[in-house]
Amino acid sequence: LAGPPSLPGQDPHGWRVPVDCVRANELCAAEPSCSSRYRTLRQCLAGRDRNTMLANKECQVALEVLQESPLYDCRCKRGMKKELQCLQIYWSIHLGLTEGEEFYEASPYEPVTSRLTDIFRLASIFSGMDPATTSRSNHCLDAAKACNLNDNCKRLRSGYISTCSREISATEHCSRRKCHKALRQFFDRVPSEYTYRLLFCSCKDQACAERRRQTIVPSCSYEDKEKPNCLDLRNVCRTDHLCRSRLADFHANCQTSFQSPTSCPGGNYQACLGSYAGLIGFDMTPNYVDASPTSITISPWCSCRGSGNMEEECEKFLRDFTENPCLRNAIQAFGNGTDVNLSP
Amino acid sequence: AFGLYFPRKEYSENVYVDQPAGTPLLRIHALRDSHGEVAHFHLCQNLVISRARSHENNWFQIREKTGLLYLSKSLDREDFNMLSVGNWMPLSKLMLYVFLSSHPFQEKECDSATRTTVFLSLINATAPACSSLTARQLCFTEMDLSFHIKENKPPGTFHQLQLPSVHHLCQNLSISYKLLAAEGMPFRYNENTTGVSVTQRLDREERERYELIAKCTVREGFREMQVEVPFLVNVLDEDDSPPFLPNGTDTADAVVEFNRKEGTVLATLTVYDADTTPIYPLESSRKKYTGTIITDDPWISETFRVEHIFDEIHFSPNGSQVRGTQHEYKLVLNKSISVTEHRSFQLDVLVNDTEFHGPERSVMLHFNVSILPVSIQFPNVTYQFTVNRNAERFAQIGKICIENCMKFRGVNITYKLQSHNASCYAVGVLQGREDKYGSLYVNDSSVLRRPECKEIQYTIQATDKQSRKHTKTLLTIVLEGTLINKEEDCPDSCAVSKHRAECEECGGLGVLAGRCQWRQGSGKGITTNYSTCTPSIKTCPDGTCDVIESKDPAVCPQDCTSANIIGGHGKGTGNLGIRSGHGICYCFPRQNCYCEKDDIQEQLCDDVCKTVI
Repeated sequence: LAGPPSLPGQDPHGWRVPVDCVRANELCAAEPSCSSRYRTLRQCLAGRDRNTMLANKECQVALEVLQESPLYDCRCKRGMKKELQCLQIYWSIHLGLTEGEEFYEASPYEPVTSRLTDIFRLASIFSGMDPATTSRSNHCLDAAKACNLNDNCKRLRSGYISTCSREISATEHCSRRKCHKALRQFFDRVPSEYTYRLLFCSCKDQACAERRRQTIVPSCSYEDKEKPNCLDLRNVCRTDHLCRSRLADFHANCQTSFQSPTSCPGGNYQACLGSYAGLIGFDMTPNYVDASPTSITISPWCSCRGSGNMEEECEKFLRDFTENPCLRNAIQAFGNGTDVNLSP
Repeated sequence: AFGLYFPRKEYSENVYVDQPAGTPLLRIHALRDSHGEVAHFHLCQNLVISRARSHENNWFQIREKTGLLYLSKSLDREDFNMLSVGNWMPLSKLMLYVFLSSHPFQEKECDSATRTTVFLSLINATAPACSSLTARQLCFTEMDLSFHIKENKPPGTFHQLQLPSVHHLCQNLSISYKLLAAEGMPFRYNENTTGVSVTQRLDREERERYELIAKCTVREGFREMQVEVPFLVNVLDEDDSPPFLPNGTDTADAVVEFNRKEGTVLATLTVYDADTTPIYPLESSRKKYTGTIITDDPWISETFRVEHIFDEIHFSPNGSQVRGTQHEYKLVLNKSISVTEHRSFQLDVLVNDTEFHGPERSVMLHFNVSILPVSIQFPNVTYQFTVNRNAERFAQIGKICIENCMKFRGVNITYKLQSHNASCYAVGVLQGREDKYGSLYVNDSSVLRRPECKEIQYTIQATDKQSRKHTKTLLTIVLEGTLINKEEDCPDSCAVSKHRAECEECGGLGVLAGRCQWRQGSGKGITTNYSTCTPSIKTCPDGTCDVIESKDPAVCPQDCTSANIIGGHGKGTGNLGIRSGHGICYCFPRQNCYCEKDDIQEQLCDDVCKTVI
């Protein structure tokens, strides 16, 4: 029932193309009326909910003025310089306005416009690994080999593997914090044609699928002594600006859409895989739950035990990982080297 | 009581350009808390656009009595563009909040706690022709048919299957509904209104989920299409069950003996409740279900605390599974208890289900606490160890331990040696971190070689740090064996030797009888049983860098090295030592260790090589 999806980033209706929040903040700071309203609004939002805030005349005026400023529509880019600062500016306005209690939050990141085909084109550069000649081979092993042939990928990969498998003491299996940091560096700084091949390689046997499951060193980065409740985990994630943003981005790009034959919003597999990879190294780190080669089940490390009256909501949240046709189609499409070509 | 509530959290519908004023969009229902309540619906006069921007609502209204949301003013293209400004996602969504009250709304504000959210998808096209819609689109919205109904509340209508917007648009189509699998269930479908109602009070402890099927039939002339979708009802829980004891057990024994450390769990008692307890947010659930030590004795309240954990359990009252809660109350030591303490008493813990409104809201748990004193004494023997005259510095002679010392936790014992014969003082004692036992070792090997020293006598004293209680016993060290000549050119450390022959003809720090020992490994891949040269196979390598080994890096680098290990290997606990290695592992103290297969001259496999394979 939707109209044809218009390409984001373009500007068919004279809409403002968003600037990044760091830049928007600079623009606002240069303008006395904007900067004083921004200060006022931040004070209004601090520790108050949307409705009490709107009851205050001064706050309302500040909001109206800011709606016209570039700060209001600003966005951030994944892996940009000052990403955290950008997200802090974004949430300083949006947290109070969206009440922070919504099931799906809007993503602070710019929409992804590239397609999987861009990656396939680059991937074919790896000579001697033509899929035709290696039909019986282990794609996940090939992905590891390809990574090791690239200095940057090799360095950051052995970096996170050695950090994540270093035992601290008999009781502390590894330093989860350092492991997550190293994983984030790997996924932020290594081009996706390497990282996606490791994460989303297709498998025909269990050894391959186990290697795929082990990609992120789950014993350190994923598993924990106890499985928390998913809503509790979501809450922990939302206290951190980066985790909150990555989760919102995952919901924006991997949410099952009935309006697309691929089940993905705008039919964009690349965007969904990117925001999936963007969650790795945070509290909401997702992974394959087992080494089944064909049936892919993804989940964060949490369950819906002890949800009380929120069980429906918890299961809805968990299903966006475990039973998500968009995510599953995107992973399979990447593994098969197929992408959909959508007419813009 | 203000108990009206919405059976759904969210509603959704599409809005098209130029749909005429008066077009009905969707129907919202409310359920009651008590008989006689009348629901009043009210719309917040604020539209939220793409979740952040807001705009005054000029287009949508709701009928206060019936909950019908409709277009009061047509949305033309200009309105569309205005509502989409800054919204660069392909699909614009508007959010409306609908509020609920049992009284007619006086002030038109948006601050009632009871609200539901309506998502309106703005579609940049005129309303589609009925013939272009699929049966699925004619019959149901995209949103799941999933509802929640509170237990113990009066019956009422909670949903209307017919879509008001479709009914308005496609009047020439016949669309009828049925509710399947509803026999024997407390739900009724009314064909005239297409309303679905709950017919009786529900009890979550009986059944918490009903799965029905909504079936829709569309007839257009002779064509007939059918669609079925799941229709789910979840029953929401309230605190209507008291706590109870499984098997009536309300008493447990709690004995404090060797384990006296702060944080020790002494005993656990379990309380069940048929109600659910959310673990999120955790603290509020803990406050709802309290466990308090009942005592006037300040010593008891300082020394003990109660820890409460709870977990979801399942039980099946009549075939269908429902969730309940198991609460565990653990009696925990709040501080370490002195070895001299001796008393017994009963400690009562009152468990209170604070939100249950009945007479049996609490249960009393009883812990029979006995704190036994432990004696600090050596077993009824004197110690005697034999030491070879060729033993080297840091050779491990044996362990000394007061009675039950290995069972102790939270008791710190120090061991001291007092010499009777100052000239033959050759042995020292060291304690590990746990302070349980003392390790005897050679600290001056030249004394062993002096002919006048044959038997050395010591007094060992063990002292409990906290109570200063102490005990003594005699220790006799007998020197034996004849002196052997030292090989020339032997290294300090056994670990340096790479081959069996050079290993076994040399001595080194820590050896017991003048010669290093060779451990022959199994030789398959990277294994914990690698080949290596060691002062004593019993203690090195054993995977732990003990107090004596850590005195000098030359004693047992296999357990203690923190330097590089070159070759296939796995590191030990805390990044110390070689837990597993490939072939033979040898070390230069304070420098690198090497693990390699002796017979093959191939490139070594380092960290990077391991990550490739």
